[in-house]
Amino acid sequence: MRPRWQKVLSDIWDNKVRTLLVVLSIAVGVLAIGVIAGAYVIISHDMSVSYAAKNPANIEIRMDDFDEDFLNTLRDFDGVADVEGRRVFGMRARRVGDTAWKVLDIVAFKDFKANTINLLEPVRGVPAPEKGQIVLEKTVLEEISIAVGDELEVELPDGTTRRLEVVGVVLDSSTSAADFLAAPLAYITLDTAPSLGQPELYNRLYATLSEGQDDDAHIRAVFADLKDTIEKSGYDVGLTRRSKTHEHPLASIVNAVLGILMALGVLIVFLSSSLIANTLSALLQQHMRHIGVIKLIGGRNRQVFLMYLSLIFAFGVMALLIAVPLGGQGAYALAQFIADQMSFSLLGYRIVPISFVIQIAIGMLVPLVAGFVPVVRGTRVTVLQAISGDALRLQAGGPTRWERFQLRVTQALARRGIHVPRPLLISLRNTFRRRGRLALTLFTLTMGGAIFISVFNVRVTLNEYVRQVGNYFLADVTLDFERPYRLDEIRQYAMRLDGVTWVEGWAYASAEILYPDGTVADNINILAPPANSGLVSPLMISGRWITPQDRQKLVISEGIFDYYPDLKVGDTLPLKINAREEAWEVVGIFKFIGVEGILGYAPYEYIAAEQNLARRSYSYRLVAERHDRAYQKQLADRAAQAFRDWGFHVREAVPGLSTLDDASESLDILVTFLLIMALLTAVVGAMGLAGTMSMNVLERTREIGVMRAIGATDSAVMRMVITEGTLIGVISWGLAVVLSVPITYLLATIVSLAVFNTPITIVFTPLGYIIWIGLVLLLSAVSSVLPARNAARLTIREVLAYE
Amino acid sequence: MQPIIELRNVVKVYSSPAGDYEALHGINLEIYPGEFFGILGKSGAGKSTLLNMITGVDRLTSGEVIVRARGREVSVHTLGENALALWRGRTIGVVYQSFQLLPMLNLLQNVMLPMDLCGDYHPRRSRERALELLRRVELEEHAFKPPAFISGGQQQRVAIARALANDPPILVADEPTGSLDSVTADHIFDFFEELVAEGKTIVMVTHDHGLMPRFDRYVRIVDGQLAEDPVEEVAV
Repeated sequence: MRPRWQKVLSDIWDNKVRTLLVVLSIAVGVLAIGVIAGAYVIISHDMSVSYAAKNPANIEIRMDDFDEDFLNTLRDFDGVADVEGRRVFGMRARRVGDTAWKVLDIVAFKDFKANTINLLEPVRGVPAPEKGQIVLEKTVLEEISIAVGDELEVELPDGTTRRLEVVGVVLDSSTSAADFLAAPLAYITLDTAPSLGQPELYNRLYATLSEGQDDDAHIRAVFADLKDTIEKSGYDVGLTRRSKTHEHPLASIVNAVLGILMALGVLIVFLSSSLIANTLSALLQQHMRHIGVIKLIGGRNRQVFLMYLSLIFAFGVMALLIAVPLGGQGAYALAQFIADQMSFSLLGYRIVPISFVIQIAIGMLVPLVAGFVPVVRGTRVTVLQAISGDALRLQAGGPTRWERFQLRVTQALARRGIHVPRPLLISLRNTFRRRGRLALTLFTLTMGGAIFISVFNVRVTLNEYVRQVGNYFLADVTLDFERPYRLDEIRQYAMRLDGVTWVEGWAYASAEILYPDGTVADNINILAPPANSGLVSPLMISGRWITPQDRQKLVISEGIFDYYPDLKVGDTLPLKINAREEAWEVVGIFKFIGVEGILGYAPYEYIAAEQNLARRSYSYRLVAERHDRAYQKQLADRAAQAFRDWGFHVREAVPGLSTLDDASESLDILVTFLLIMALLTAVVGAMGLAGTMSMNVLERTREIGVMRAIGATDSAVMRMVITEGTLIGVISWGLAVVLSVPITYLLATIVSLAVFNTPITIVFTPLGYIIWIGLVLLLSAVSSVLPARNAARLTIREVLAYE
Repeated sequence: MQPIIELRNVVKVYSSPAGDYEALHGINLEIYPGEFFGILGKSGAGKSTLLNMITGVDRLTSGEVIVRARGREVSVHTLGENALALWRGRTIGVVYQSFQLLPMLNLLQNVMLPMDLCGDYHPRRSRERALELLRRVELEEHAFKPPAFISGGQQQRVAIARALANDPPILVADEPTGSLDSVTADHIFDFFEELVAEGKTIVMVTHDHGLMPRFDRYVRIVDGQLAEDPVEEVAV
């Protein structure tokens, strides 16, 4: 090998710590991008393919009980390819022998073999149960520790229990795909339903379209006709959903979240590039004499430039060898994790070519770009500067502005009798000696810190918003019945339950929002609490809340702006309700989670009367004297049991905060991803600091030797270095505090728009700031201790001989 | 005979925040082929600066340095950075007091490096030549050791071998024996005399007046000027 290439090889091999630092700096960025880009490609492809492969329903209608004959009348419906009926009902279930109940949505099929819509994917056991058997959706296993062959105990409305043999586990990626808050699913045959106190009738209709399965307008039109037909046949329609075949209902959210992660990945690459620039700049500084010698004996700029460019190229190749295989695995693991969370299956492990190409491009280009300036600067140094080691001194001239400022401050303090310890002064001066390097280190560490702090703020902001959304669900227990009961009667019984302080009956109506031309824009679920209810504390954007006198008036969630962007309080909105087109006045607009659809509120007094349910209700809200989760859960159990004992047909009793728990869990997954990225940026920052400190110490080896020769002890040398590192950490924390404000706003807005479809109020928490100051001090100390120990270990002879 | 090195009214001024400092005040000097030429002076007199003007390591403020070697007459300070590096690599071998060997390369590779950079020798030939040069300085058996594993005197011999790698007609040495003991320094001198006998021109800077008798000719430099008796012939 030619001597110059031998030198390049030796530069890589001889200083392994530096090589490792540069290689890891590159690898971190490449890995982050590789994982996210790979996951993005896998998810965006597999999510829709896997979803479409299950032939998802384009239309789902929850309605009154209906039979096979009625279903058959819809089979030839214009525009519909296929229809299926199912019965879906909530039940409490547990493994035989367990004490805790979990709410499951039981789905009853007439014939599993004839299932063509929302197909189930077998995971283990058999996918089709016989009479008396049950098959579980995979997510049930996260809630109940149960295996195929075990028995599941379910609780009937009258409080008695039945046992069903678990014969299989399946994956259902379509039935609850759009529902963040849905209970886990389990499947039985329709002829098992009577043994669970359910009729052998359907209550949900699923339909696929013969054409235009991905055309929202077409789906809406067919849906409106279908709903109209159903209602004209005398059936009431409840909640409805429409979906495209080739677009997972949550695809936009997942893509938005992956987009945010990608942005953070790009930031990590950016930060790692500043780290690379810093390290290479120090390397060039250390190699100044070598460059001088090479030029002295005939080396030209181009040759030196190529040598160092090759060095950087080699660092890039090594980083790729680490990051590319890990990135491929990481991408699939992340995609698998998201797929598990969203209940869809991936199409198998594979290398994503575009991710591969992006990683190689980043691994090669970023170090070259980051190293270009230091290398060009290094190769341009003259032989004289390089040989005499005077490159900096010749350029620097006299004392810097900072040094003059420091001198003036020290003198002013001394005049007042305050003497700053000399080692501290040296640490201070050293900190600001290499301002370019300090700036890059501070930038990396500050960005890492600001993102870290911001993620905590975003987490609190999201949770606070969920808590505010909880203001729409203030009841401690929601008690639903199979049939309507009189308000007075339920109130009288409920108040007999220990701890219950208030009872309200609510009504509910489903309607369609129409465009001015009469076509359907979207569904709206209208909740109807008593107008004076204290159980809703809305986040009003404009207008007022409902009053008992309101007739055909509603307050509506801001999701309406998607269809009527200019809607104002006082405007009328065309609604189709109970098969009639009516003009409702909008009296107020409030904030709500966008993806949960459009929600409206109207007074119970009006809706109940319209539904011939005056002074009666299916659904009751109980308020207790205590509002904690444990008490709510216990009260829900007691209420369900007591009402069953009293002979009421209880459908389910749900504790109030459990819905929010599910929402918070979904958000926690998102926040965990953000936190992982924040930690990665913090790691890059810490690596930057460690690199800077070791470079600073290395460059000052001679200076340290002189100090030790004139009496500085090991601990004094260590203290000086650690003080310098800590000072950088503290400065970066201060800057991160400032920078975290805009980053919090940016991140929270992007996330809230992706998840909630609405910007939300930002909340700041001291937690992130406190953790980061602790972490940054720890990182600073750890990053400085090793170089400091190395400096203290050197003998005076060694350091003074250092060249 | 035309001088191989000719300095015409060379002035070097250093600028600093404290003001300008003239290190060389219009030096005129001629050095002839095959001479062992000494430049003597105290520390700070300007002798290393003068040497740097000859090698082109430092830029002059005014005047001219002409080098006639390898059939070319070159005004050193008219060359660009790259051309100067290549010219120096082929024409002048430089030896410093502090050896300036690259620590990550073994002795053989250090000697091969100038040939690699200037491209005058095929890689295989450059290896053979480097081994020949190391044999000549009696260090062939250490060829594969790094510089840190041999003594200062041995390192200086490697530095000389490296300076001779491209077979330059001129060798320039800045206090080459300054950090060596007298016996080792004597060996270095003996070797320089051998090279001069073979036709090389050697220009050497030293502060040690005791070495005067070993030069063919020498000049004394005082405060950036050549002394009254500028060039002295030495009877060998």
